[in-house]
Amino acid sequence: MTQYLLQISLAGLAQGSLFALTALGLVVIYNASSVVNFAHGAMGMAATYVAYVLITELHAPFALAFVGALLAAFVLGVVVQKALLGRLANAPLLTQIVVTLGLYMFLQGVLGMIFGYNPRPMANAITMAPVILGGLVLRPQDVVQLALLLILSAALAALFGATKLGLGMRAITENAYAARLMGIPVGNVLGTAWGIGVLLAAVAAILAAPTTSVTPNMMDTIVVYGFVAAILGGFGSMVGALVGGLVLGVVVNFIDAFLAPELAMSIVFGILLLVLYVRPDGLFGRMKVQKV
Amino acid sequence: MQRHTIAISLIVLCALLPLVLQLIGERQVYWLFVVSEFFVFAIVAISLDLLMGRSGQISLGHSGFVALGAYAAAILNEQFGADLAIGMLAGGCLAGIASLILGFPATRLRGHYLGIVTLGFGIAVDQIALKWDSLTGGDQGVHLHKAVLLGLDVGTPVRMYYVALVALLVTVLLVWNLTGTRVGRAFAAIKDSEVAAAAMGVPIARTKVLAFICSAFLAGAAGAIYAFLAGFVAPEDFGIDSSLLFFAMVVIGGMGSIPGAIGGAIVVDAVKNAAATVSGLSLTILGGMIVLVVLFFPGGLKAWLRPRRAATGLVHEPDDAAIPQDA
Amino acid sequence: MLEARQLTVRFGGLTAVNALDLDIPDTGVFALVGPNGAGKTTLINALSRVCSVAEGSIHLNGSDLLDLRPHEAVRAGIARSFQRAELFPTLSVTENLLVGLHGEMTTGLEGALRTRSTRAQERAARARCESLMRELDLWELRDCAPADLPYGHQKLLDVARALISRPKLLLLDEPFAGLTDAETPRLLACIAAAGQQCAVLMIEHHFKLLEGVAQRMTVMNFGRKIAEGTPAEMRADPEVIRCYLGTGRQKAAEPAPC
Repeated sequence: MTQYLLQISLAGLAQGSLFALTALGLVVIYNASSVVNFAHGAMGMAATYVAYVLITELHAPFALAFVGALLAAFVLGVVVQKALLGRLANAPLLTQIVVTLGLYMFLQGVLGMIFGYNPRPMANAITMAPVILGGLVLRPQDVVQLALLLILSAALAALFGATKLGLGMRAITENAYAARLMGIPVGNVLGTAWGIGVLLAAVAAILAAPTTSVTPNMMDTIVVYGFVAAILGGFGSMVGALVGGLVLGVVVNFIDAFLAPELAMSIVFGILLLVLYVRPDGLFGRMKVQKV
Repeated sequence: MQRHTIAISLIVLCALLPLVLQLIGERQVYWLFVVSEFFVFAIVAISLDLLMGRSGQISLGHSGFVALGAYAAAILNEQFGADLAIGMLAGGCLAGIASLILGFPATRLRGHYLGIVTLGFGIAVDQIALKWDSLTGGDQGVHLHKAVLLGLDVGTPVRMYYVALVALLVTVLLVWNLTGTRVGRAFAAIKDSEVAAAAMGVPIARTKVLAFICSAFLAGAAGAIYAFLAGFVAPEDFGIDSSLLFFAMVVIGGMGSIPGAIGGAIVVDAVKNAAATVSGLSLTILGGMIVLVVLFFPGGLKAWLRPRRAATGLVHEPDDAAIPQDA
Repeated sequence: MLEARQLTVRFGGLTAVNALDLDIPDTGVFALVGPNGAGKTTLINALSRVCSVAEGSIHLNGSDLLDLRPHEAVRAGIARSFQRAELFPTLSVTENLLVGLHGEMTTGLEGALRTRSTRAQERAARARCESLMRELDLWELRDCAPADLPYGHQKLLDVARALISRPKLLLLDEPFAGLTDAETPRLLACIAAAGQQCAVLMIEHHFKLLEGVAQRMTVMNFGRKIAEGTPAEMRADPEVIRCYLGTGRQKAAEPAPC
């Protein structure tokens, strides 16, 4: 029995790593520009189509396609920030939510028109057979996902903790106006933050592609769980997003195994409502006081 | 006065439309359905505008309320032969009660959290409708029997058309009245400045919840009408795509305006129907429109329909009058 | 009428208001003065129940105000204006004033049906707004959007919104900030007139302005009351001079610790 539970937990961690990657991307963007990017999943999905095209049309090896897609994702993030969000820096919150939703619809629609809604298969880049370790089945795919998550998290931590860019981002989060006065190129830093955020979404999407196939709605479920993970983590804390994503992955897998997979999202939202009722700013969130 | 004449002429036009359509012949039924469906969507758009545009609370799962109303009406009709009036009441009440589940946490949540929670609500209603097949028939849906309203047989397309039209007009009247009185002003106040609203005696949390209930009730009642209109209710009629359409209606139409909501409904419904053959086209157009509206036409359609009232002369600096003549 | 005793407000480690005692009679204009960060706005926030009080008490005509939630303050007779006007931009000038009457009116959802009582209440409320607007010369602007008004009129509207509820205590947070010399007299007259009907506690920096209208002045610094008296007395008070007014250009070189 414990074996079974462990197996489920392992699968949960693997799935959770995708949620965590998505949530991390959301939090990076939110921390820098105070915007929740409702188009996050769609942008990751768009980058996946880039990888798909590189593989199927240009017969590029997976690694190259992967890098190419990530580059495209980064550029997409920068462009969206400069062209859209940058112009709306002083607009009310609702406006920023609205524009990212419009972007979500637009991206889904355009990619749907170009590629259609039939699922396109994406072959698994890792063709190694599963390994049996201590009675547990370890899929190389899952290990890679978790490893990538940890590597990228470490890289992010280093970026924010130890580089000028990271320092600039943290400064902007505290006080964008003062940051600009201090000579921090706010526009560039924000663009970079968006680029990194969308890049993380793309990683999650490409990792998910072999399972979900490449379709315009491929990231819909994952991004919703990504939102939940980010909220549980307090939507500001990267550690929270990481932990939230992994925990959520395990929870969802348990629901899938023991309750009803079709109700997984409803149950998760029920849990989220309860959590938010008790702690309106998430489990690790910090309250922002409004001055009158 | 001018606005009233426009409104009345539009109403008369809509009232005469079925007669005009009779001239077309066999496509009449299709067009009657399309316009009737538009009336229902307009009611939902107005309800969402009351919540988002007027009281400033975002809802990305509004079709969840519509679904609750539709299923309530459909199931009551299928099991007990309930008529449209009961369906609307039951649907509205069910949606209203469900909104309490959202409403109370909503009072404590910042904008984007509320967006995600309402998104989840819409998804949850969809999933539950699919899963609870003993009640809802799962993906088979629910088929309604005869469409009856207070003893009157309204089973024909023409009669349902008028039912939907009257429902829309009643909705417009109710919401219009509400916005001109204490509760409607309170909604706008909490959107504009919670702190000032509280200082004037507006109970913030209670008012936010009230806005949710009103909005949900209207959406639920609209859902009930939809159920009778279509004669059939299934999960795929609702869900996130549907919620986003309503969202688009309010954004494109301009927030906080009844004519805006109706105008937005016209635009979105037209695009949806016209672009239906090419998958992805309507989403592209609507998504693009939302982005353009936000960037370049922040007031939406309503800013076109009703330009802002200008101050009567006192926009200059008061000091102007103090400029000495010989300066 | 208003009695605050040992009022203390803390935000985390910061004590914004420190064991303050305050007495305000039924009518008159009273000024709250002090350098930035002295705790004046926090005191007003505490009195209007916008922020919570750590220690101390507030009584209005004997009744304890500490249990009140922010939206209950106006029913108790406390109304306020804001440092940044906080008008309702989507509502017209008249509608802004009507919200000020929210606490007194009782129309609920039945307003959607425009029942007779709804219409009667609306008529009465609008009549009250009309008379106040005419008094303050805002009547011509009644249908304007607040954003279209000159700043002086916006601040006037903010004060009017508080006045319309006929409060016992009117709290004004820097009502003259940002006003031009031409706009000031109108607001001054309004406040002076209000002071005949109720108590007005107003935060203000401009001493000359206060000498004309305020009966008494409370000077705060670092959350504490450092002096209290008539404007003339305060002008001469050594503590007030040291901490707030200053002693002129020669002595400015050595800043005095407070």
